[in-house]
Amino acid sequence: MKKQSWIIAALTAVSMLAGCGQQAQPAGTSADHASHGAGSADAGAIGGQKVTIDFWYSLGGKNGEIVKAMVDEFNQSQQAVEVKATYQGNYYDNHAKVLAALATNTQPDVTMVEIASIAAFADAGALEDLKPFAEGQNGTDMQDYIPGLLGNSYWQDKFVALPFNRSTPLLYVNRDMLKKAGLNPEGPKTWDELREFSKKLSQGKGDAQTWGFSTPIDIWFYEALTFQAGGEILSEDGKQVKFNDDKGTAPIQFWSDMIKEQSMKMPPGEKYDAWDVAEADFTNQKVGMIFTSTGSLNGILEKAKFDVGTAFLPAKESFGVPTGGANLVMLSKSTPEEKAGAWAFMKWLTESDRTAKFSKETGYMPVRTSALESEPMKSLYAEKPQFKVAIDQLQYAKPRPMAPGYKELQETIMSEIQRTILGQATPQDALNKAAEKGQKLLK
Amino acid sequence: MSAVRWFRKGAEILALAGIALMFVFPFLWMTLTALKGMDEVHVFPPTWIPEQILWENFAQAWGSGPFLTYFFNSIFVAVAILVLQIVTGVPAAYAFARYRFRGSKVLFALTLIALMIPPQLTFLPVFIQMSEWDLLNTYLPLILPYAASAFGIFLLRQAFMQVPEELIEAARLDKASEWQIIWTIMLPMAKPVLITFGLFSFIYHWNDYFWPLVMTNNDAFRTLPLGIAMLKSSEGSIYWNIVMAGNVILVLPILLMFFMAQRQIIRAFVYSGVK
Repeated sequence: MKKQSWIIAALTAVSMLAGCGQQAQPAGTSADHASHGAGSADAGAIGGQKVTIDFWYSLGGKNGEIVKAMVDEFNQSQQAVEVKATYQGNYYDNHAKVLAALATNTQPDVTMVEIASIAAFADAGALEDLKPFAEGQNGTDMQDYIPGLLGNSYWQDKFVALPFNRSTPLLYVNRDMLKKAGLNPEGPKTWDELREFSKKLSQGKGDAQTWGFSTPIDIWFYEALTFQAGGEILSEDGKQVKFNDDKGTAPIQFWSDMIKEQSMKMPPGEKYDAWDVAEADFTNQKVGMIFTSTGSLNGILEKAKFDVGTAFLPAKESFGVPTGGANLVMLSKSTPEEKAGAWAFMKWLTESDRTAKFSKETGYMPVRTSALESEPMKSLYAEKPQFKVAIDQLQYAKPRPMAPGYKELQETIMSEIQRTILGQATPQDALNKAAEKGQKLLK
Repeated sequence: MSAVRWFRKGAEILALAGIALMFVFPFLWMTLTALKGMDEVHVFPPTWIPEQILWENFAQAWGSGPFLTYFFNSIFVAVAILVLQIVTGVPAAYAFARYRFRGSKVLFALTLIALMIPPQLTFLPVFIQMSEWDLLNTYLPLILPYAASAFGIFLLRQAFMQVPEELIEAARLDKASEWQIIWTIMLPMAKPVLITFGLFSFIYHWNDYFWPLVMTNNDAFRTLPLGIAMLKSSEGSIYWNIVMAGNVILVLPILLMFFMAQRQIIRAFVYSGVK
């Protein structure tokens, strides 16, 4: 993992150096291109020249194969646009690669971008406003996108991103284990219950030790718990840090207390490695309850040899979760023809039938309201009610912070939290330090 | 003699076996994991022999991307680099080993300095240069920056210096050209070193992840390690059995080469004193 952060730092350096002297495109011209492009999308379909567009995605493994299959299907379904899809590493790698590519003019036409990174690209003027396309001849009903998933789509009144593979954290519970301990198999509803449940489920020593609860000490879950405590990460305009108050320290205090009394296991490993450990501990019944993404639901159901339940993340003041995953964006450097083709592809990917099918195959949430009411989704929810919980939880969802500097800030917050967990700082001191750095990053 | 010697011999074999096991274990575990089903990968306590041997994991890994292209690219890039490094390295090493000319010491010192600079430091100017020449997304940025190897020059120079001067004098008396001397005397004498260097270079570039990741955006020019990295999902469950199947595919050619060249490598280490 050390090596990986190195690669990212290096790629970022490229984009900064090579980007010197480059200017963001004036907003007016790109909008002109857009409306022009939107008009010609149909013309392309009727008999103009075939346009080839580059699409970068950041899903590996099975989900990556599903994305590739969709691209093939799109290419075969029509003659006007040929999509070349390329995998560019995980969200972190992809972010760095897009930055480097923008600096050297080798960027794609469409790419997936992790939702908290959208502000950074939008602020640099790299993203095309999609509104003229959505309202153009080849448009789509924007009201149909699930409102809870659009929080990371707008930047300064521009509509820059379509929701694509979207997730939210869920509480996964081993229902068999809870029943055996005489606990409600639906899982805990509040922080206090979570702690109480965890204490009852934690026992044994050495190889036989089990824990009630585990979650990666990750920014995503920290955001969730801060929302639940009634706090905020950043102010609405993204210019002020808000997390360094008692509502921001509450999650850290909660985690440290539980880790100290050995009812919560902190999974070792950095970033996604810790996620993988938490998931493995859960499927091996070393841990009774975990927080992890909806995106893991299919994998967990496949591996677990017990009754798996999903539930809302427990509430403090209220329920609350961030959403996660990635959106689709169009790059403003592309030509009008490429943009028209890119739009056709983006729209196709997020159409009702497609998003329903994608959701069923991957466990990500469908992004359209009409998809929720479709037959395939209804039958899926009847058969596997675990899938439905994520959608129900959306009423409590908030967007991830939208600020160009947040990508860096989240790393700072995470390392400060980890320092606290290791007992090297008090929660308040650690968050003050992160806030101080954060305030500089946000300016 | 015997009791003590037997005991010593036994202890020696045992120690060697222990060390060998430490090196073999990761490969063994990788191969076993590659054959398991997903539900068995994470089982605790772990199982040794897969309940069901799933050869189709390999097919799935291979089929999950344009692996034939990756494979070809890996071979093409690693071989092209090796050929260029030998073409540039042999004359340079010969000159450093056998000629006295003005500035030879300075030039050799520069070569040694190049040996000490890691590619992570030079990739930035190289990347920008390649971008200005419009060469990104071709094979050239993967190959050209490695066309000369300071390590190769250094290693070959050491080997050439050990060839007795009399041999070369004799060849010169017989009116052999410098190229003939290199070809008929130097290279055969340096064969173990040449093979060792070839393996080092080939393995390094075969395994390289960083450089191809930075220099290519396009599957048509990508190499195997990037394809293997793709098998690991970034969100959701990681299918370790498929990832490991990919890794077996990646290391198999290297292992085969290593077994074939093993004897030469040992000789090279004995001769050149590189340890």
